Amino acid sequence: MGRYIIRRVFGFIPVLFAVALFTFILVRVIPGGPFDYAGEKALPPQVVANIEAKYHLDWPVTWQFVSYLFGDDVVEFLSAGKYQQPADGGSKGLIRGDFGPSLRYRGQSVTDIIKGTFPISFQLGLLAMIIGLSIGVPAGIIAALKQNSWLDYTATFIAVLGVSVPSMVLGPVLIWLFAVKLGWLPVATWGAKPPFILGLFPRDILSWKFWSHAIMPAIAMGTGMSASIARLTRASLLQVIREDYIRTARAKGLSERTVIAIHALKNSMIPVVTIMGPLFAAVVTGSLIIEQIFGINGMGRHFVQSVGNRDYPLLMGVTLVYTFLLLIANLMVDLTYAWLDPRIRYD
Amino acid sequence: MKKIAILVSLLIVAGLLLAACGQQAPQTVVVTQVVEKNGEQVVVTQVVEVTPTPPPEPVTLDINWGTEPPTADPGLATDTTSVAVAGQMFMGLTKFNPKTGEVEPWLATSWEASEGGAVYTFHLRKDVPWVKYNTATGEVEQVLDDNGNPRMVNAHDVEYAVKRTLDPATASDYAYVLYIIKNGQAFNTGADGVTADDVGVKALDDWTVQFTLESPAGFFPAIAGMWVVSPVPQWVIEAAGEKWTEPGTVVTNGPYVMTEWVHGSELNMKRNPYWPLWAANGGDIKGNIDVIHGVMITEESTAFALYENNELDTTGVPLGEMDRVKSDPELSKEYYNAPDLCTYYYGFVNNKPPFDDVRVRKAFAMAVDKQSLVDNVLKGGQTPADHFAPPGIFGAPDPGAFSKEMPFDPEKAKALLQEYLDEKGMTLDDFNALGITLMHNTSESHAKIAAAIQQMWKDNLGVDVKVENQEWKVYLDTIKKTTPLDEVPHIFRLGWCVDYPDENNWVYEVFNNTAGANRLRRGCVDATCTEVKPMKFDELTEQAKVEQDPEKRKELYYEAEHELAVTEAAYIPLYFYVINTVTKPWLQRDYPPLGAPNYWDWVIDWNAKKAATGG
Repeated sequence: MGRYIIRRVFGFIPVLFAVALFTFILVRVIPGGPFDYAGEKALPPQVVANIEAKYHLDWPVTWQFVSYLFGDDVVEFLSAGKYQQPADGGSKGLIRGDFGPSLRYRGQSVTDIIKGTFPISFQLGLLAMIIGLSIGVPAGIIAALKQNSWLDYTATFIAVLGVSVPSMVLGPVLIWLFAVKLGWLPVATWGAKPPFILGLFPRDILSWKFWSHAIMPAIAMGTGMSASIARLTRASLLQVIREDYIRTARAKGLSERTVIAIHALKNSMIPVVTIMGPLFAAVVTGSLIIEQIFGINGMGRHFVQSVGNRDYPLLMGVTLVYTFLLLIANLMVDLTYAWLDPRIRYD
Repeated sequence: MKKIAILVSLLIVAGLLLAACGQQAPQTVVVTQVVEKNGEQVVVTQVVEVTPTPPPEPVTLDINWGTEPPTADPGLATDTTSVAVAGQMFMGLTKFNPKTGEVEPWLATSWEASEGGAVYTFHLRKDVPWVKYNTATGEVEQVLDDNGNPRMVNAHDVEYAVKRTLDPATASDYAYVLYIIKNGQAFNTGADGVTADDVGVKALDDWTVQFTLESPAGFFPAIAGMWVVSPVPQWVIEAAGEKWTEPGTVVTNGPYVMTEWVHGSELNMKRNPYWPLWAANGGDIKGNIDVIHGVMITEESTAFALYENNELDTTGVPLGEMDRVKSDPELSKEYYNAPDLCTYYYGFVNNKPPFDDVRVRKAFAMAVDKQSLVDNVLKGGQTPADHFAPPGIFGAPDPGAFSKEMPFDPEKAKALLQEYLDEKGMTLDDFNALGITLMHNTSESHAKIAAAIQQMWKDNLGVDVKVENQEWKVYLDTIKKTTPLDEVPHIFRLGWCVDYPDENNWVYEVFNNTAGANRLRRGCVDATCTEVKPMKFDELTEQAKVEQDPEKRKELYYEAEHELAVTEAAYIPLYFYVINTVTKPWLQRDYPPLGAPNYWDWVIDWNAKKAATGG
């Protein structure tokens, strides 16, 4: 098991490299550059050239990529001084944990931006995930066990509703109802400001101030998730219940409760766990819509806005963070399989 | 003896009551007391005047910046949010009157132009200190010089700021605004042998700064009010580098200092008590706002919900809420429709057939019902435009000046198009087979406008126009004058917003076929405009740029606007923007049409705000 994990983690490196390379090329292929225009104003070419020189966008693309990965000093060394690192040292390169400067937010580095926004997205995503699972799994189980009863129909109906009502509708409705009309909750923003516990978890998790801000966005994000989890759990459990080994368990005379809890549930969780991996990576890196509606300073918006701004390093940064989380989450999923299904072994 | 004791006890009671009533509006309290007078007990009733203590909390303005400002550095700012932030912290030489938009003294108390108008001399205030916010104590502190005296903003700071903006190493987007200064362009573009010393800005003494221009420019005092000219602290920038604008590091000279900047979330400011223009310091600025609490909410409807919840003092009105705001008894009183110095237009590619013929351009222009567009599609109280520069810009014709010559007139439009078709021996079907294309950048509101105008052309001219859209930066690339003719759309959408309130910033910088981007492809010798011939409009705008006499300039600009919109019909001006805002009744404010919002002039009735917010 240990060797398997180590092997997988080493396998991350070529994946991350490939993602970095493809993203790097793709963003530069899109027409338009980060500094051609200020608003609707076309900037004189000389002005654009000054700014591009500052961010080394005048270097050949290969050297830009080398600089992104290994730093400006390596470029200067490898190109025998043809491309010089700037006086302040310039980018230290991804390999040394430097994601480079943001092209849009002058004076902020991509590392600063990710450090400031990722913890908030992580908290929100985690809360939404907890809501999604704690509603979705039980609802799915009940619906499956009471198949074709009113409980099943109600649960299915709510699940369909949850999937169909997008968060961009649910969010404003929640705001209108609980903040504007009833005045119970604040309209927007995330309650906590950095620092957080361990850099990720909210510092004042027990305070009402935190929850009053957190509850609406977490629900808006979590309900859609709970609906799809419920549907998946129901379908999977229904299938498992019809398996031969369940019939065997019943034939042995085990109580229905034991059959379901010990034999059926565990196996039916495999498809759920499978989608949990990518879902986790997606929700903890933020959601543009939820962040927009609730005015949350999360990372999700940067996935979209960095493309519009042609903020190459920021786009690369958030993409790589997402890739890394996805790889970790998928590894976790694979490890969970071994526990859920005894037939799966990693040696 | 007894009497004194009674008096003392009375005073104590009154004192207690007074303490209990702290932070309340002024009121009188009736105090009843049993006292012994001449050996008998008497009930004495006294009316005690209770003076309320002044509100201990700072008067706070709650606003929405709208988005994370890309920078707070006045030398780098290009967008409205950055300008709004930098404008609170740094003073320009001049400023624009928040009501009329006229140029007024700010850091400079007076200025004069030389004979001929190519040299401008500005005289600065001598009493504006550099200040810094101490994040540990929460106090604003003056920056002291080597002798322990407050370090005042001086002419050398202005000279440094201008040279820094123009320095290619600063990489400022708006450096080009300063190309009017002698050698500004040469220095910024790294021309051989040109150094910062050659740039035409010089501190004559500590309080006088002189600008030498490339050519006479009557609008230079307006440029001097732009953020890129604001003095900045050289020693801080050199020590702290790019991060010099962070709270605790940044040294400023404006009415407010930055106290906190949580990137992407909040940016807060506090009154600079050392600023000499406050009424309290003997100046004439009467605003009472102590603290600016600014959030960054991108979503308009969320900001509006915050406003309704009394969490913001003012905000924009989302289009979807317009009808409710106008009909609601409360909100309609808080609503204000302020002009915004921006123009929305459709440009023709003037050398792409069939739009190389003025009759076709005129036909398309006259077939657009701008009033109906504003009333039925935009619904935000915009003004239909018949030329480029909106009212409030020096030299702009009055709205409607050309609407007689270029009216909405389907009959005339049809006749003009028919004339063209007859001459070319075409039918309307042949014309439609040309595949006329209108392109806009991807956005719901642009799509709505395009659909409405497409329908107007269909109804009024019988022509079929294809509407296409592209993502913003791709789009800007497509409509460049260098794009091959068969790839560029016939008609494109763009807007323009003010930098400084002079026609030069409008017709000359945008449409002059050598100075501007020439997306209209006017006067092109070849298809992609590598060579252009100046037309009458281009000559007029060149002339007006250097003309000294303001009246003469106005005439030239009137003629130029007429030339472009009527004679050439090179584009269709559609409408002038407005900003729809709501403001809480306790806030007295202005709606400055350009530059940074003047929070320093705003006044909040703090008790009213507190009563409403339950604070």
